This record gives sequence, structure tokens and C-alpha cells, in this order.
Amino acid sequence: MQSRALRWLTALALLAGLTGLSGPAAAHGPTRQKVVETIAIDAPADKVWAIIASFDALKNWHPAVAESPASKGNEEGSVRELKLKGGGALTETLESHDAAKMKYSYRAKDGGALPVTNYTSTITVKAEGKGAVVEWRGAFYRGYPNNDPPPDQNDEAAVAAVTGVYKSGLANLKTLAERK
Amino acid sequence: MIRRILATALWLAGGAATAAPFAYITNQGSHDVSVIDLALQKVVATVPVGRSPAGVVASSRAGRVFVSNPDSRTISVIDMRTQRLVDTLPAGSGPVGIDASPDGAQLFVADWYRNRLLLIDTTRHDAAVVEIPVGKAPAGVAVSADGRTVFVAERDDDSVAAIDVASRGIRARVRVGTHPFALLIDEPRQRLYALNVLSDDVSVVDLRTMKLTATVKVGRAPYGAALTHAGRLLYVTNQHADTVSVIDADTLAVQRTLDGFGYPEGVAAHGDRVYVVNWMDDNVSVLDAESGRSLARIDTGKNSRGFGAFIGAPTTP
Repeated sequence: MQSRALRWLTALALLAGLTGLSGPAAAHGPTRQKVVETIAIDAPADKVWAIIASFDALKNWHPAVAESPASKGNEEGSVRELKLKGGGALTETLESHDAAKMKYSYRAKDGGALPVTNYTSTITVKAEGKGAVVEWRGAFYRGYPNNDPPPDQNDEAAVAAVTGVYKSGLANLKTLAERK
Repeated sequence: MIRRILATALWLAGGAATAAPFAYITNQGSHDVSVIDLALQKVVATVPVGRSPAGVVASSRAGRVFVSNPDSRTISVIDMRTQRLVDTLPAGSGPVGIDASPDGAQLFVADWYRNRLLLIDTTRHDAAVVEIPVGKAPAGVAVSADGRTVFVAERDDDSVAAIDVASRGIRARVRVGTHPFALLIDEPRQRLYALNVLSDDVSVVDLRTMKLTATVKVGRAPYGAALTHAGRLLYVTNQHADTVSVIDADTLAVQRTLDGFGYPEGVAAHGDRVYVVNWMDDNVSVLDAESGRSLARIDTGKNSRGFGAFIGAPTTP
């Protein structure tokens, strides 16, 4: 009885040892990352919202986007097919659109041109004094699903890419909205 | 009056200079745990743990808090009286969901990548970890009040397994919604709630028959659940909707949907308050349990999760 227990323990120890040897490459996966970017705009909130409200309007205000047609407008489930100016594409699905709260949310299973997966994002306009504050935030995993990702597909690369998209979009939105 | 006596009792039970109970919030982005003193409503300690802490269970009986660190494949053990790290236990390849036996001596941990439930003896370092094969991507774990049965959400199989702790065998398996992640036991009603991240609903399972008895529609990506208001209300966080559903636990009707949260994940209740962890905002919302009214926000570490029963108070001096 005791020897059987011992054998069992040895087997477990061997298994643990083997797992240790196979190391980081096989076993581990990524953790969820996020980016939150905000910008203060010297224009009324409803004017800012009017620029971004349509799910398919991204091409009008994001400097990197060439085309952004959406299959069902602002209806939940509407699919937006982005084509970027430098090449590359991204498919996003509208999860919710709330004109009263001036915000919409969308998701992308595959990051396409962005080195991310399981991406969800929300953009919101809030009135602040006579102006507006726009918040754009996203949650996602890096592009590489296992341990030891190549540098262009690690957590830092994913955060940097999404940060770049948000910052450049918000900066251009501010320029457009503040234009007299 | 009763509440004051209770508060005094808890204060005395906590002993020493600090008040109890505490909320232990795992911060996956800053690799630490924010300890909130619920009497003071503020963070009184930040405890560095392993990499990317996610799961947590505060065992009042053991006076210890157990935290799963998927990226360092360990469990960190925090002493509730000193708020210090006192031990680190090896835990498979990617520990996520975690619960403790009623006496706090045994841990049940979901090992996500190897599809195992781990049974870990917290009192003996030489004891081998027991491994029980379960379904794909085991996530949430919940132990019955008698400690005899442990339930595991098998996320990628859309099922929940009931495991007999003594024999270590799977006693029953029930199919629930799509991608169950968190589990919560409702002892008085002999129910298990499974939160289905992809079908946006809560499966209600009768523990006596292990049959699905109801399905409650909630918001997008339900992630955490807690019972409060003397067990009458079930709070469910909806991660992608930034909302919290408040459900009448007797009728299973959604009573109200609260908004203004930031990717809410973990939720736990104590007394007449509910604590919701906002992953996106790096803080915890304090709500009045009965009305759902937001009372305060308490800043935590980065990418806070609090996945599990994160409130506890040491029960022995």
C-alpha cells in the first residue's frame, strides 16, 4: 500500500519535473491589457458627438483610416470593415450604441492590422463646462497567444499600437471639433 | 443596534490595532494586493505577491488570504492580522479560480492550462498536490458549506463539474450556458449560479439534483456574483456592459441594472454594502446593498480583478 503511494508520488514528481523542463514556451498564456486615453476639447459635447456618432464615420475623423463602411449603421451587430491608409484592415462589430449617453462600444475577435486579439473598445463624449472630454478605452490581449512572444507581438507592442491609434484619433478629433 | 454589536464583535475579533474585516483586491497589472479596511473604507496595505494575481479567497477561519498568480504558477499566502506575505505555494501551470475548505486547511485551485483541479494542503509543505482531471479551461471554483463537494466551471466545455472531495471523483456534470467562468453557491436555496460570459446569462443549478432549473438574462459578459441583503439580492457584474445586474434571488427577476462601472469584475458583499472591482478604472465601487446606490470609490492597484470571495476577517485572536 505504502509502496503504491510512493510510486504515485514519484510519478507526480516526475510529471512536475517534466512540466518544469518544458518551461514557459508551452504552458503559459497572456493576461488582459488595457489602454485609456482622454482628451479635453474646446467645443460643445453635442458638436463633438455629432462628428463621431455614426459607427461608419471613423474615416472622417481618424487620420489613419481610409474607409470604414458599416453593414447596419448604428444597429447592434453592425460590422465595420476598416481599411487603413498605410495598408492593413480590421473588422469590428458594434456591441452597443447609446446616443443619449454619447457613447458606443465595439469588439474585434482578431486584431487584424493591430497586434491584439479579443479586443473590446468604448468611446464616450462627456460635457465638461462649456467644452467636452472624450474618453477612448480598450481591453485586449496581445497578438501572441503563448509565452515568450516575439517583440512585435508582446504586451508592450499591443499597448503601444492601441495607444497610438487612440492618441492620433483623439488629437485629430480635437482639431476638427475646435475648427471655427 | 444589532449592526453595532456585530461591528463591535468583529472589531474585537480582529484584535490588535487594526479593524476587521478587510477586502483583498488582486491587481493583475501591478502584481500586488490592495488591502481595504472596510471599517475605514480605505486601503491600509499593499502586499506584493506573484506575477499577475487574479483569483483570491479570504479564509476567515484560517486567518489567511490565498491568491492565485497565473504567471508565476504559485499561490501567495497573506496573513490577515499582519497583512504580510507569509508563504508561497507551487500551483500547477496556470492557477486561476480558487476556493478554500471551510476550515481553510485545503485549497481547491483551477489549473487552466492543464485542465486539472488542484487540491493543496496549506498546512503541510511536504504534502503532494493532488490533481483531478476536469474539463477544458477550468475557471471558477466553489466549495459547498459542508466542504464535501467542490464545483468547477469548465469554460470551454460549457459545463460545471461536481467533484466529491473525499473520493476525488466527478459526481455529476451539468451543461450550462456558453463559457461559464465564475461560480457562486447559494446555500439556503441549495443552488449554484454559473455566470456565462458568452451567452450573457446566469445558469441556476439545483444542487440536490444537479439539474439546470433556470436561466437569467443579464448584461454582456457577466463575470462576478455575490449575494447580499441577507441573501435576498444577487449582484452580478457585466464586464462588457459596464453594468451590475441586481437580481431578486427568490423570484430570479432582474430588479435593476446599475451603470457607470469600468469593466467590473469581482464583487463581494459585507454587511449592508457591496464592493465592485473596476478593472478598467483601477478602483472599487462601494454600493449600498439594498438600493444599489453608489457611495464611494476606493483607488486600488493596476488592472484590479478580485476574482473570488475577497472579503474576510480573522476569527481567532
